[in-house]
Amino acid sequence: MSVVRAPGSEAPPAARAAESAGELIRLRSVTKDYPRISKGTDRLRTMAALLFRSREMPHFRVLEDIDLDLRKGESLGIVGENGAGKSTLLKIIAGVVRPTSGEVRIEGRVGALLELGSGFHPDYTGRENIYLSSALMGLSRRETRGKVDSIIAFADIGEHIDEPIKHYSSGMVVRLGFAVATALEPEVLITDEVLAVGDESFQKKCIDWLQDFLREGGTLLMCSHSMYHVQTLCRKAVWIHQGRLRMQGESFDVTREYLTYHEEKTAKTRVSQRPEGGLTKIVDAWIERDDGERASTFARGEPLVLQGVAYEPNDRPPVVLFGIIRADGSAVYGSHSNEGGFAPVRLGPCRFGFAVRFEALPLLPGKYHLRVHSLDPPGLRLFDTFEVDFVVTGETRDYGLVELAHAWLPGRGDR
Amino acid sequence: MVSVGPARWGWLLLSFTRRELTSRYAGSVSGLAWTLLHPLAQLAIYAYVFNRVFRVGVPAEYPSVAFVTFVAAALWPWIMFSEGLQRAMGSIAANGGLIRKVAFPHRLLVFAAILATCIVHGIGYVVVLVVLRIAGQPVHFSGIPVALALLVPYMVLAIGIGAFLAALQTLLRDVEHGMQVVLQMLFYASPILYPATLVPEPLRLWMRVNPIGWFSERLRVVLLHGGGLVPGDATMALACLLVFLAGLWFFERLSPHFEDFL
Repeated sequence: MSVVRAPGSEAPPAARAAESAGELIRLRSVTKDYPRISKGTDRLRTMAALLFRSREMPHFRVLEDIDLDLRKGESLGIVGENGAGKSTLLKIIAGVVRPTSGEVRIEGRVGALLELGSGFHPDYTGRENIYLSSALMGLSRRETRGKVDSIIAFADIGEHIDEPIKHYSSGMVVRLGFAVATALEPEVLITDEVLAVGDESFQKKCIDWLQDFLREGGTLLMCSHSMYHVQTLCRKAVWIHQGRLRMQGESFDVTREYLTYHEEKTAKTRVSQRPEGGLTKIVDAWIERDDGERASTFARGEPLVLQGVAYEPNDRPPVVLFGIIRADGSAVYGSHSNEGGFAPVRLGPCRFGFAVRFEALPLLPGKYHLRVHSLDPPGLRLFDTFEVDFVVTGETRDYGLVELAHAWLPGRGDR
Repeated sequence: MVSVGPARWGWLLLSFTRRELTSRYAGSVSGLAWTLLHPLAQLAIYAYVFNRVFRVGVPAEYPSVAFVTFVAAALWPWIMFSEGLQRAMGSIAANGGLIRKVAFPHRLLVFAAILATCIVHGIGYVVVLVVLRIAGQPVHFSGIPVALALLVPYMVLAIGIGAFLAALQTLLRDVEHGMQVVLQMLFYASPILYPATLVPEPLRLWMRVNPIGWFSERLRVVLLHGGGLVPGDATMALACLLVFLAGLWFFERLSPHFEDFL
């Protein structure tokens, strides 16, 4: 096990090579075991094991074999279910937790925001807490003094800054915490779900700050349950599943897969809730051109036909729902067959066919998902998701999702 | 984090010490007063029980020294030691929230706990010595620098044992309860309330090798008799330093794993 932190001049050659490549964080087969300490004797055995550096102790594994690279200027989001090990991973990178095995190499100044306001003392005033938590983050008194005013301005706390923070609202504490962390001017900022707190305007302020930070070459590592935040702020993402790296790649791809996984999981839970009989589902779905030829690439304005087959165990026509989603997760449009009074046509026992035709597709160029769901007729419950991808080609300088029919006219000039 | 120089952590240590001091006394005006009064009350009880009831006297080597003065010279350092030890022992658990979220050298918490105790009771010690002197007791002010020189290894010992116990407490949890008993036994087994000369011969060696006994006797000598350091002080200081290093080694070895247990 080797943990190298900010070696500076005495960096080994490998570290220097990494530095020159702009690599700020490098994890290699990082594994973390937590001791299992339910009995007193376990505690004793664990202590002996730690003291004499043997691995013989009762433990459970929270992270296994994690490789991670983060270069300067990159932004990486970490997604995963509760208890998947995301926070532990961030703590390892922040230096709070030592991995059981594996290599952790961190270059540059790391600012970790694992919990906003964690270094605060309730009896201290806001100003005193700025000094205390700056000291905790490794700032000297002189450095802090030069930053106090900008911290107070960012936190937007006003004259309350000289009151004990136990009288603050939780939102004020959070603002102060974020303000202190940003003042550290870290090269790498690590945040754990901190954007979830604070009101709308403060969240916006944080996101603006983070976007500026990234624009100026900052490196971000964040963990969030908000796919929106991950997609807005991070170019790349990793998905941690049960302590292992399940997927790594572009944030849109990873978040999409992650959301799909959740949908499937939810669907499975519903299945187990209703074990009797089968469930309605989409057996197959595909996209065609006007001429009936299957395709996944469409020119802008071309007609698109969605064809599908649904299964309904009670031999009653199911309700079918479709939705178009852009690759970044933005919903474009969705509708269900009940709306138009359409019932899928019976093809055979328990099998129903349906099609949806889009005349002159008004979508702007880009990648889209077309999701099809079948709902059981009485309850309109969603059981199934079938996804087909397609790409709209073409060049445009327009913004948004769809092209709205419009015309430019000479203005009248008065109301 | 970059440049984790000693100067930078020095400031963090001061911040922790300040926090320790204010958290103990902030919010209550009488907080500091109580801290200073507590040893005084203890002193009054010991004086009553041992001097009035049991009629323990001051040995002949200390002519014209009142029993109160005799005990006070060793009692305050003992309180620094024992209270510092207990504070240090609980310092990791008390700051669990911080350890779980922020990376910093955990030993600073132990240092700050003992430093804060030393500051508070150090003030009390000086005040009591000055008051006794005003009351006509033969307190040698010239002995204060020497006493300070003796207090340094005494407190270094406290840090060493404190660090050891803090790590032990974090991993094993139930050290705290045992420690109260041990400290109480140590208090009565050391020449704080009585002179070492009163102890029967077989136990005299214990009085000299036990650092609490040694420092209690030595502090009394330099404050009430005057005089400088003796070679034995250096030996004892070395022993304290070794305990300090051993305790810190133990602590540092386990401190990366504290988070696992908090």
